[in-house]
Amino acid sequence: MPSLAQLAQPNQDYSYGFLDAFAKRELRRRMLKAIALPGYQVPYASRELPIARGWGTGGLQVTLSLAGPNDTVKVIDQGADDSVNAANLRRFISRMTGVATTTDTNAASLIQSRHRIPEERLNEGQVLVLQVPDPEPLRGVQPDISRARQMHADADYALMWLGLYEQLVRYGRFVQGASYPVIVHQRYLMSPSPIPRWDTPSLHQAAHLTLLSAGREKRLYAVPPYTDVYPIEFADVYFQVEDQSGRVCMITGAGNKFMDELPQTDGTSLYRISDTGYIEKLVKQQRGEAAHVGETYYDEAGQFYHAGFLKSTQGNSARSADFSPRVGQDAD
Amino acid sequence: MLPLLTEPEKQAHASFIALMQALSYPGRPQRLPAAGQPAFVAIGEALVDLETSYHAPDPELAAAIARTGGRQRPVHEAHYQFYPQLHPAELDSLARAPVGSYLYPDESATLVLGCTLGSGQRLRLSGPGINGAVDVQVGGLPEAFWSLRAETVRYPLGWDIFLVAGDQVLGLPRTTVVEQL
Repeated sequence: MPSLAQLAQPNQDYSYGFLDAFAKRELRRRMLKAIALPGYQVPYASRELPIARGWGTGGLQVTLSLAGPNDTVKVIDQGADDSVNAANLRRFISRMTGVATTTDTNAASLIQSRHRIPEERLNEGQVLVLQVPDPEPLRGVQPDISRARQMHADADYALMWLGLYEQLVRYGRFVQGASYPVIVHQRYLMSPSPIPRWDTPSLHQAAHLTLLSAGREKRLYAVPPYTDVYPIEFADVYFQVEDQSGRVCMITGAGNKFMDELPQTDGTSLYRISDTGYIEKLVKQQRGEAAHVGETYYDEAGQFYHAGFLKSTQGNSARSADFSPRVGQDAD
Repeated sequence: MLPLLTEPEKQAHASFIALMQALSYPGRPQRLPAAGQPAFVAIGEALVDLETSYHAPDPELAAAIARTGGRQRPVHEAHYQFYPQLHPAELDSLARAPVGSYLYPDESATLVLGCTLGSGQRLRLSGPGINGAVDVQVGGLPEAFWSLRAETVRYPLGWDIFLVAGDQVLGLPRTTVVEQL
């Protein structure tokens, strides 16, 4: 019979990974269900954390229940490793789990991100955790969450197509910027979190697992590796990513990556690659230092690595012109 | 000071990572921190607690998992089910294991089944997590199990399965299409 002293854990201020064993077990169960149901929002009991809800608590809970002592964690906020939010989350994760931290996308086993997917392609075995403010893609067309759940159950997404059509007739193009809705594994409509449209294709047939978690809304969902993720579009009017052509990074001189726009006092703009870990590597490379720059989702010419996934707009430019708004004139 | 990773937590973490990778990449065996019957207990300890229900026909295993605080429930109710050896006679009752509902497809059974890997029935797997298709050999399961699974999975409804052989675990989420070769 073991003694009480043998059974008791040493006294300590925090559990490993901050969350208690119950919380981690619950999150882990939900994550497994989320992986088995790509794009389906699994409810979970979002725990209190020492940061406020809405500041990445969903992603943080997932990261804390995933991280082990052998992990290497990268945390980014809109592509930046050095923003206040990212730096604080990274320090907290490292203090609670003892993980190593990095800014190198290829060296990280776990990447927690607010609203960006790194430019370099993630590999098999890596896990991307996206923080989600609003997990419900139907909220814009159906504010009642019970009815939205029924619509997901029925795969009834007609209102989304109607909304898309209305955007076309009003504005001549799809106006949704970030969190462009996608259909995952031909079944569930999913919000990919407010990543730019530029990043949305990166989820399609990716080598890595993506976990998305909304702490305030208490739901998490997943995109497993090698899973179809298609943005909603029409057969004759296509989804398009943000046009980055002609933009040159002020630090590295690189083009065809997702850029931050820095307005200048003279009315012009400078551009800088939004992924700071990637800039870091390019700069090192230009200085002649050793740096392994990984394969990127978009090549130098701006071509996406899954050829044919992003359809050319050349052929349908004439068609989309039919949808351009008629300003200041009546219909004939 | 860094919080201590206690031995039970370390094992639960290792089991969970193996299960997560197994489910993310169906057809690729992952290594559990325990082998044989203890592997089933390790999975139970990683996933089951007093918020969940389980079913294990083997009394010894059931007693070990009961220590997690989970509630033992009959086949048609339990969310986590453990069969180190699935007998053909059990298939009729297994057919009633929960598959979830369209509103809550996550309220379905997770089956942990003992098997042999590398011998027996040849299967071709395809679906999410698999780049194209992958062939595996799974033995030690009743022959009718695969047709039962095919009848039960009506995506998004269905079971999520972990196949355990020694310390190896193979994930078979409901999204995986299984073709018997």
